[in-house]
Amino acid sequence: MKNKLYEGMYVLSATLGEESRKKALDKILHGITEKGGEIHKIHDMGRKKLAYEIRGKKEGYYFLLYFSVTPGAIIELWREYNLHEDMIRFMTLAAEEVKETLDFKPLKSAN
Amino acid sequence: MKKNSSLAFAKKKKSCPFQATNTKHIDYKDVDLLKQFITDRGKILPRRITGVSQYYQRHLKMAIKKARYVALLPFVTEE
Repeated sequence: MKNKLYEGMYVLSATLGEESRKKALDKILHGITEKGGEIHKIHDMGRKKLAYEIRGKKEGYYFLLYFSVTPGAIIELWREYNLHEDMIRFMTLAAEEVKETLDFKPLKSAN
Repeated sequence: MKKNSSLAFAKKKKSCPFQATNTKHIDYKDVDLLKQFITDRGKILPRRITGVSQYYQRHLKMAIKKARYVALLPFVTEE
């Protein structure tokens, strides 16, 4: 089957150290490449305060990945992510293009 | 006189801010933009108040709900 482009947002625990966070990210990347996927872009969005508490955690470390895998493989990835202890949240969406930057234009008020 | 008073109470037509800038896609990661369309408590503002067109309100709704899931925006804010 043909590979499809996805964007995944991953919220890792902010209590992880530099080393273990890198390891956790590598685990995610490895999981994708293992299934014949390809990584296009990694955005490190940094440490952010969560808008609400998730499993007693108030802060998270955000990553945004653009990758392509087959639609069948993504279901297997979700299963892996649910077993991932350091991952607070994940969301994978079909994407249309790879965003190189995460800057957004402010909306001009049209009054 | 009569004309003047009716003008004073006439509803001012609000224009859609997304149509004005010809937006193609409302991104859930654009938190600063989405924050303009929710209340202090985190509820989505109605079209009646913001003037967003029906098409964009639908896309805005989906973007806000995605942002809520990844904890970029709150579901509710307690005071």
